[in-house]
Amino acid sequence: MARWILDHLQAIKDAWRRTADRLTQFVVLVCLLGILLAIPGWLAQIWLSMAYLVPEEAVQSEAIVFLNKELDVEARIELERVLNEMREIEQVIFVAKNVALKELSAQDGLGPIADLQVNNPLPDALRVKFSIRALKKSENNIITTLLADKRVLSLRYFPSTRVQYSSLVEKLGLLGVGLSGLAVLGVAMAVFLVAAADVVDDQRRIELYTLLGASRSFIRRPYLYRATWLGVLSGFIACLVITSLNELFSSDFALNLKVLDSSLEYLPVDSRTLIGVATVAIFASWVGAERAVSRRLNALY
Amino acid sequence: MIEFEGVAKIYEGHREALSDVNFRLAPGEMAFLTGHSGAGKSTLLRLILGLEKSSSGIVRVAGSDLSTLSGEKLARYRRRVGVVFQDPNLEDDLSVYDNVALPLRISGFSESEIPKRVKAALSRVDLSDQANARPRFLSGGQQQRVGIARAIVHRPALLVADEPTGNLDPELSARVMRMFTQFQQLGVTILVATHERAVVDSLPFRRLVIEKGRLVSDGMGSR
Repeated sequence: MARWILDHLQAIKDAWRRTADRLTQFVVLVCLLGILLAIPGWLAQIWLSMAYLVPEEAVQSEAIVFLNKELDVEARIELERVLNEMREIEQVIFVAKNVALKELSAQDGLGPIADLQVNNPLPDALRVKFSIRALKKSENNIITTLLADKRVLSLRYFPSTRVQYSSLVEKLGLLGVGLSGLAVLGVAMAVFLVAAADVVDDQRRIELYTLLGASRSFIRRPYLYRATWLGVLSGFIACLVITSLNELFSSDFALNLKVLDSSLEYLPVDSRTLIGVATVAIFASWVGAERAVSRRLNALY
Repeated sequence: MIEFEGVAKIYEGHREALSDVNFRLAPGEMAFLTGHSGAGKSTLLRLILGLEKSSSGIVRVAGSDLSTLSGEKLARYRRRVGVVFQDPNLEDDLSVYDNVALPLRISGFSESEIPKRVKAALSRVDLSDQANARPRFLSGGQQQRVGIARAIVHRPALLVADEPTGNLDPELSARVMRMFTQFQQLGVTILVATHERAVVDSLPFRRLVIEKGRLVSDGMGSR
């Protein structure tokens, strides 16, 4: 068998033996880190599932642009093209005056369409949907430009809740991102330190192996395997806790939110949360062990 | 086998641990390195084991200048050296057998070769019946013998011992020294650092006396 396979098998055996010898300590650490990791994970899950709960009009502004009656087709198409090319605008829909009349007739019970169709009082219009990422300032600039445009008769602007309360929303968003970032950083540091402490405990062993002629990778390997198991298992526990919490709360959420959206029966766990939690756990514990062993080895010579 | 040419070691803070040390130890020779605590014995051994680099001069072992070795080459060099410590430094979560097999596994010996070598080493230190025991259940003398078995299991050309009898009673000390004498007769070069006068006086081997980092005496001892 190739030497490196034997070396890895030896390292896995060594890591397993060391884990089995301190099994209670290892299990406690895994559970502790799993629960710690679940905190930012659960925050992220709430954060991301908000997208399912927030109605479209809360985040997406809209404007109905009424066009001048004498406007020819080419001028209208040119205006549509210009608007479509704007980054802040997601969609431009042409609403012909006869379609608008039909809609109004259906909604507001105007006189029979046949009577009005000959002398339709409505203008043609463009329905402009802004992007959900458009800033308040950009939307205002576009509205001002449109109002000054000779092709436009008038317009009605429906700013989203996000734009209306932009300063508050931005500050709260920043605070949320900042707190979540701090939580992730704190947990990553805890995982890092736990993995590093495992190595510090073994300084005498590392010195012995160095004296017996073990290479740096030979010494490092068992710690990295153990740290990886620690990361994988604590990440798994964290995912389990997040999914369980979601199971517990989402049915109640959905029950109350059915009033808003009847299709909403269950809030799914966002896979990005689970992948993120598992990656942070494995990466932090691996880097923690690697850094700690390297520092010990460098200090030896 | 070991060659020191004008070796000095100065630590940070300008503390001189060794100064102008010169000596040669021929292959198959056994010598004691004696001196008071803090005289520089451990620094000299650390230089031989490649744990320190000399500030000036040359440390040569088996023809290799140790200052030129690093990384994997240094690890390979250490695999050819046996080390015995005052505290045997055994791994408590390994059996006696696995402790002794450790240098062989590190050196990449085949799994079929390891049992033969471990049995031979344990039999040489009279511990064949303790192969499956955990070190913590052995006496101090037995633990030291496990440490010796681990040091010789890969049949090193050089054996370095740092106060190997420091924690043992006179009877066990004499037994350990008898083992070293047997290894020397098999052709192993041995350097034993000790400050126990009784141990040194009991055997007719060369004595290197070190004081305040300087080699002050180099001669044969007598019973």
